[in-house]
Amino acid sequence: MDTLTRRRFLKLTSGTVAVGATANLLSFDQIAQAAINRPLPAGTPILVIITLYGGNDGLNTVIPFKDPIYFSSRPEISYKAETMLALDADLALNPSMGGIKSLWDQKKVAIIRGVGYPKPDRSHFSSMAKWQTGSPERNISSGWLGRWLDSQPEDPMLAISLGSVLPPLLAGTKLSGSALPLGGLVIPKGILADQCTQLSKSSRSDSKLMAAAATSMRNLFNLSTSVQPVLASPAPVAPDLPTINGGNAGGDSNLSQQLDVVAKLIAAGSPTKIWSVSLGGFDTHANEANAQAALLGVVSASIFRFLNQMKSTTRLNDVTVMVYSEFGRRVRGNASQGTDHGTSGPMFLIGEKVKGGFYGDQPSLAKLVDGDLAVTTDFRDVYATVLESILKSPAEKTLGKWAGRTSFLT
Amino acid sequence: MNIQRLEISRLFHRFAFGPRPGEYAQALSDGLSLTRTRFLTIPTVDTGAASVKEPEITNLGKRPAPNSAEIVPFNVALRYQREQLVLWWLDRMALGDHGLSERMTWFWHGHWATSIQKIDYPLPMLDQNRVLRTNALGSFNTMTKAMLNNGALQFWLDGQDNTAKAPNENLGRELMELFVLGVNRYSEDDVKAIARALTGYQVDRNSGAVSINQKRRDTNPVTLLGTSAVFTGDSLSDFLVARDDCATFIAERLWYRFISSNETMPVDFAAKAGFTDRTIAGAVNAVASDAVMSNEKFAMVKAPVEWFISACRALELTPSQLKTPGQLVNNLDKLGQVPFAPPNVGGWPAGEAWLSSASAQYRITFAKWLVKQSSLSALTNIPAGSRVIKSADWLGVAEWSPRTKSALRASINDPAQFAVLALCSPEYIVNA
Repeated sequence: MDTLTRRRFLKLTSGTVAVGATANLLSFDQIAQAAINRPLPAGTPILVIITLYGGNDGLNTVIPFKDPIYFSSRPEISYKAETMLALDADLALNPSMGGIKSLWDQKKVAIIRGVGYPKPDRSHFSSMAKWQTGSPERNISSGWLGRWLDSQPEDPMLAISLGSVLPPLLAGTKLSGSALPLGGLVIPKGILADQCTQLSKSSRSDSKLMAAAATSMRNLFNLSTSVQPVLASPAPVAPDLPTINGGNAGGDSNLSQQLDVVAKLIAAGSPTKIWSVSLGGFDTHANEANAQAALLGVVSASIFRFLNQMKSTTRLNDVTVMVYSEFGRRVRGNASQGTDHGTSGPMFLIGEKVKGGFYGDQPSLAKLVDGDLAVTTDFRDVYATVLESILKSPAEKTLGKWAGRTSFLT
Repeated sequence: MNIQRLEISRLFHRFAFGPRPGEYAQALSDGLSLTRTRFLTIPTVDTGAASVKEPEITNLGKRPAPNSAEIVPFNVALRYQREQLVLWWLDRMALGDHGLSERMTWFWHGHWATSIQKIDYPLPMLDQNRVLRTNALGSFNTMTKAMLNNGALQFWLDGQDNTAKAPNENLGRELMELFVLGVNRYSEDDVKAIARALTGYQVDRNSGAVSINQKRRDTNPVTLLGTSAVFTGDSLSDFLVARDDCATFIAERLWYRFISSNETMPVDFAAKAGFTDRTIAGAVNAVASDAVMSNEKFAMVKAPVEWFISACRALELTPSQLKTPGQLVNNLDKLGQVPFAPPNVGGWPAGEAWLSSASAQYRITFAKWLVKQSSLSALTNIPAGSRVIKSADWLGVAEWSPRTKSALRASINDPAQFAVLALCSPEYIVNA
């Protein structure tokens, strides 16, 4: 590799990679080689999915701040109107979401209102399964993007989730995305590596799960040659998040670190079209206002910073960020200054290619369905658009026949 | 595949925590029927488990103010006790002579999944663990009643915030969905009703003591699943556990954790009939004797703790003696499973979720770390000539694939590498 290219590479990845006496330059060269040998072709759209685990309270995210019912329904957890970030005459963002507000002002944020699916399920696990499988009416075990992976040539770098456990979202019936831990991978070397490669071969006597175990090890060695050193040193520790309230419904706690690593890998040219990151803690049954504001602040600031990092690369125009949660929460607050599980909520799509503005109708507080917000947009409308416009694939293969679309891209 | 080897391997790895050296070969020579009876018969005394000393977990009291003189010793004690709690349980799993009670305690921990991340104090978690162990194979109704009076569970699901004035649905919903009935076997109105029936509980955070504050209790009758009554915790448990859906649900959970997490449960799965009287032993015995036990289709991925403990037993290691406990917890954490800290109220995932490329790497590192600390005498006692074949008996593996045999054969003269490869092989990670 010529030094200029390598220097450029080092520059792009500095911050996560310790370069110097302790860094393994040989394998660093290998990763640079791989990312430079087959980088994602310029202009290829990239999807970054942010899953908010626990059920984000949509009404305290995109707030109907002129509606007296909002204030009377949840006097203890509503925000003061003057602190909210007005988006138009009726709706405002949570006071902590300054970063997203400034992107909104630049017309880069699509807010899709009232998103959900028919017959809302208020269980975290069932509802998240419906969102992640993309199949609210029938229980299936593959994720919607996993099925998309099934339709692509096998490549462990195509879809990557940060964290060591793979979300169902990226599990297909034949192929799956890869999981990458934040701390980085240390790949065995020498004879042990050769024998592990032997162990990871498929065998005719393998059951489905044994074959999956062998594949996971095989992918480890494939991945390791290309991205391992970028992840070699741990990212800085994120500020403490409120895990006491709303901390029992899953998700990781270090969104900004995850997005930092994603930014570095995108900049390095990793041939990856889908990135999946997550933040947990949104199950705010108690003492919601502070906890949720802190979490939304992290979401907003991390996305803002991530897109700023993209500005120094050639990929800014290619990246679209999608944010969702398994459900919104009840309109009425409970006795513990929190809210219980509800139904629909807003989705965010953010990026240069996004046509900023509102999509879908705002669910009315006066016309509740069983005491909860109505669903005004089916999430499959959004998924179908993502599949066609970002992943450039027919939606039907993944979602079956589905007519709805949400035209949030330019 | 040899069906007797398969079924006995499943008994060891699913109904216990794997064989110690020699146990699998002995069981094969004793035969399936005798082995199964032995697995299902709980001895009055388990010498191995009894050799593990209970940790000294005390009431640490209220957290001192930040920057106060008392905060440092408080934090040191809190950290130490939390670590002792984890090591104590891992030791019980690794040193027990009879695995089923401990295995069922582990199953119930994943069922009533409560995390110390929120509870913070180890004492309420230890109390909960005792409740789960005492009732692990007993009456499910007794267990449910005891869990409703368990401070860790109540605090975990905001039970202490659930009042007549404005109910908090967290505990009530999960009680029906995740603990007793299963999802969608109730309506949203039932969720509202059960939340009211569960009002008034108060929890002392430090000790985990539970009391009822009558002033915060909603004593009006509620209509729950078609029945109107004023429920107490006990009568609510009687009512829910008696429902047919409860038997279906517990059978489903046993299916998911003992037989298959990716295949659907057949309607005639014997666990449900075995649970007619709501004794857990009845259901578990039925699972162990069901025809599905010999069906090759139903492989199970070992969860990280199960993989680790079975490795400790094969390598004759004691978890608390490993150097160092901090590294041990770190290794388990990287694989995504530390006892007392499930990721959410639904418990840990199962199946392919444990098979990411990141886990593959962490498992190799973990296995190397463990093997380094073992004498490996069980392995080196096998003559090199038969080491590949006989190592399957050492680990309780039904059958090595040609692929794995070839990798092991290449390491015959390097026992440490041989052991690492065997422990990281698809046949060991996945119980056939």
